[in-house]
Amino acid sequence: MPQHITLETIEKRLNDQAYITERSIVLSVFLAMQLEKPLLIEGPAGVGKTEIAKVMAKILDTDLIRLQCYEGLDANHALYEWNYQQQLLYLKMEESEKTSLEEKEKNIFSQRFLLKRPLLQAITQHKAPVLLIDEIDRADEEFESFLLEVLSDWQITIPEIGTISATHKPTVIVTSNRVRELSEALRRRCLYLWIDYPSFEKELQIVRSKVPNIDAQLGRQICAFMLEVRQMRLEKIPGVAETLDWAMALAALHIDHLDKETVESTLGIILKDWQDIRHVQDSLTSLFEKVGAISKFDNL
Amino acid sequence: MELLRRHTSLSANLLAFCRHLRDHGFAIGPAETTVLFHALEILDPFRDAENLRLTIRASVAKSREQQQKFDELYPKYWKELEQAVDSKIAKDRKPKSAPQKQSSPSLLALKNWLNGKPAEEEIALAEFSAQESTSTKDFSLFSPNELQEIHHLIRQIARTLAVQISRRWERAHTPKRLDLRRTMRKNLRRGGELIELAQLKPQKKKTQLVLLCDVSKSMDLYSQFLIQFIYAFQAASQRIETFVFATDLYRVTTVLKTGDYQTAMQKLSATAPGWSGGTRIGSSLDQFCREYRRLIHRNATILILSDGVDTGDIDLLENAMAMMHRRVDRIIWLNPLAGRPGYAPEVRGMQAAMPFVDVFASLHSIESLRSLGKIIGRK
Repeated sequence: MPQHITLETIEKRLNDQAYITERSIVLSVFLAMQLEKPLLIEGPAGVGKTEIAKVMAKILDTDLIRLQCYEGLDANHALYEWNYQQQLLYLKMEESEKTSLEEKEKNIFSQRFLLKRPLLQAITQHKAPVLLIDEIDRADEEFESFLLEVLSDWQITIPEIGTISATHKPTVIVTSNRVRELSEALRRRCLYLWIDYPSFEKELQIVRSKVPNIDAQLGRQICAFMLEVRQMRLEKIPGVAETLDWAMALAALHIDHLDKETVESTLGIILKDWQDIRHVQDSLTSLFEKVGAISKFDNL
Repeated sequence: MELLRRHTSLSANLLAFCRHLRDHGFAIGPAETTVLFHALEILDPFRDAENLRLTIRASVAKSREQQQKFDELYPKYWKELEQAVDSKIAKDRKPKSAPQKQSSPSLLALKNWLNGKPAEEEIALAEFSAQESTSTKDFSLFSPNELQEIHHLIRQIARTLAVQISRRWERAHTPKRLDLRRTMRKNLRRGGELIELAQLKPQKKKTQLVLLCDVSKSMDLYSQFLIQFIYAFQAASQRIETFVFATDLYRVTTVLKTGDYQTAMQKLSATAPGWSGGTRIGSSLDQFCREYRRLIHRNATILILSDGVDTGDIDLLENAMAMMHRRVDRIIWLNPLAGRPGYAPEVRGMQAAMPFVDVFASLHSIESLRSLGKIIGRK
């Protein structure tokens, strides 16, 4: 692990990458790198959990290898698979050759026919990559325990080839949306970071850095509006990504302030559920009162 | 020298704090403390109080709930410590857990029923129209020969629930999906001619079923049916855990597993001293979450049989439901009242629970039992 990385450099680099942070995030990223421990990041959807891994890869100037989890994900898809089509072709081509059965077997189960999946890829790189294990809560518990094994030994055994040990230990980021509770064992192996929806100030900073040409008043109104919308009981609470989409759309339309009409016609950008949209439409008046109060008092 | 001493005393204090956290349910082992001290070593966060706090938190608090708990405990602890040092008074930090008040409700309904006093039920039921055909007739009105079918239907439902299709694959003989890896191995000596095909089929996975049955006064009307349901359900599979609750929760799995119907019922009435009292669904479910945490996991289906009338703490109900909802496969709520025409889940408890229920169905007639079987099989 590069020793020259300090807390301050990470903070600076995160800022350079236009990732607006808070102290707990900087510190967790720093500790994860220094202690070489996986960092488990939980939080609602759309608060920039995955983004951290991407930024870390940039900071370390290395590759990002991503393993997207889903239900039914098993070792084959995470580790390696044999390239059966090529194996078949090879056998066909060799049909007339006088190679022995053992020889053939050795040939088709060699590195040449091995398809590396993310975990195997991650441990066989020339430079330690950042390994992002995204939405681990979607995979099942069997996979979780399998992952634990890989994370502790950093070696993978392929029956036909043998054991492959990690050339470098990757920096590991594990994210979860808390669809399912993760095992105690996995939690204990990781450092933990909870990222919540951003505060008004933080979100405003994010909007300003990602949508630089936005009208100052509009930016404040959007963030205040999002803050209030998230307080409502919605099916799908909009994340920062939705805020940015909305800000970009409104900025592109050259709108400089929020009014009811604008909101009503663009609500589909931040809300993705019909009932949520109706719910918000019904309470637009009271929402606007609150939004007015928040964005007025702020002189950022 | 002074610095060193302060340093060690801080380490000692940190360890003491870790112990304090452990008392509050944090799983902190040597692994966690090692990480913590490593982290402190490289960071030297002693200059900055906030960094110190965040470092400790990242090392020992491993979920959002724990982090919130941590944020609450941390300042309190150091403040207490400071005060104690200042006044040189040794403090005792005994965790003050207020002993839960145990109430002892009665077991009237079941006892009455077991002692052959169904009179009350019949009277109460007279208000319910004894109209229409058998299939829509209220359960409270079923006749002994319908028992057989009810029993049969319940067993079917329990079996469907107990086995679910996994997204993983296992070896098979019938063609479903080709297992290329094994096929390749088998046909290696044929020089790439695939003759013997190896197959995969989706794995079946066994699920844990948990039945939580409301036996409070408001459910009295259905007590006879409930008992039937519980018994038939428990008999259907080995992986079923059964609980009854009114104001408190009782595990009746072992009782139900022993002996025949009559003996089981006798024992049941002796075990659970809470039939037909008031209802505290919230605190009962909360008790379930705390004491039977091991039953709450991804492979579990929780079946709650209740009318949702809660006279206790609604927040408790909501929290317990939210907690279970996050962790289990499905929550199925069967409500005997839901079959009544014009029923809407307006009872406070039911309303609080609704957002966390995956399947909500009525359970008041043989017909509803049949359609429940279909709903559950669909998934």
